Amino acid sequence: MKAVDAPVHQSETSTTSQTTQPWSVVIQDDPVNLMEYVSRVITRVFGYSREKANELMMLVHQQGKAIVWRGNREEGEMYVSQLHSAQLQARLEKSR
Amino acid sequence: MTLGPTVGGGLKLIPEEVQDWLVLLEIAADAHQDLASSFAKLMDEDAMWDEIVVPELETEFGAQKKHVLQVVRKARRSNQEEIIIDVQDADLWYGALNQARLSLENQYRFGAMNLSSANDIEEREARSAYLRNDFYLTLQSLILRYIKVN
Repeated sequence: MKAVDAPVHQSETSTTSQTTQPWSVVIQDDPVNLMEYVSRVITRVFGYSREKANELMMLVHQQGKAIVWRGNREEGEMYVSQLHSAQLQARLEKSR
Repeated sequence: MTLGPTVGGGLKLIPEEVQDWLVLLEIAADAHQDLASSFAKLMDEDAMWDEIVVPELETEFGAQKKHVLQVVRKARRSNQEEIIIDVQDADLWYGALNQARLSLENQYRFGAMNLSSANDIEEREARSAYLRNDFYLTLQSLILRYIKVN
């Protein structure tokens, strides 16, 4: 992700913790999408707080990818389609 | 080209030279990658992405490119001195610019080159693409800063 106009908030919020859910929505890092934009998209699609979206965006940026949501397949596909519509590299993975 | 916010909450582009118009016309041309299909490759076959989601994405991405191209062509034909990006079409502009940058990145891999300036690129076509990419990035940043996208 491009670090242009990117607000970086430190937050103690952890990522989704429902490890029993079978499917995960994963966002992959890319060198094009702006960090601020990624954060806004996460907020809009999942309804997360700005702080949580910023934390997830930073995880994507620093780790190359991050799980941003866990749940059932049908709902996960809906979220991935919205992320693709926003031109983010996202996929659905079966949780281990 | 001069870029700046408007009092109405939009963004104003003032092309001053022929090259300014050309780079605006290049946005749609640079956005040539089949982005919708590339996203489908991230999904397994059970998701039926090619059948269900890709056509919708193609329509959406096509509309973004078409909008930008039409606005720029119309402005140039009618000798408009400026182009205004309003809140209503900010998403279309941002999306078209993003498509262009994703396509250029896919073609040239600027992100992995660790370049400090366009002068580091010897090949003329790639250097030109790098400069366009930089302009698109600037415009996207201004859209995010001055116009609420999403």
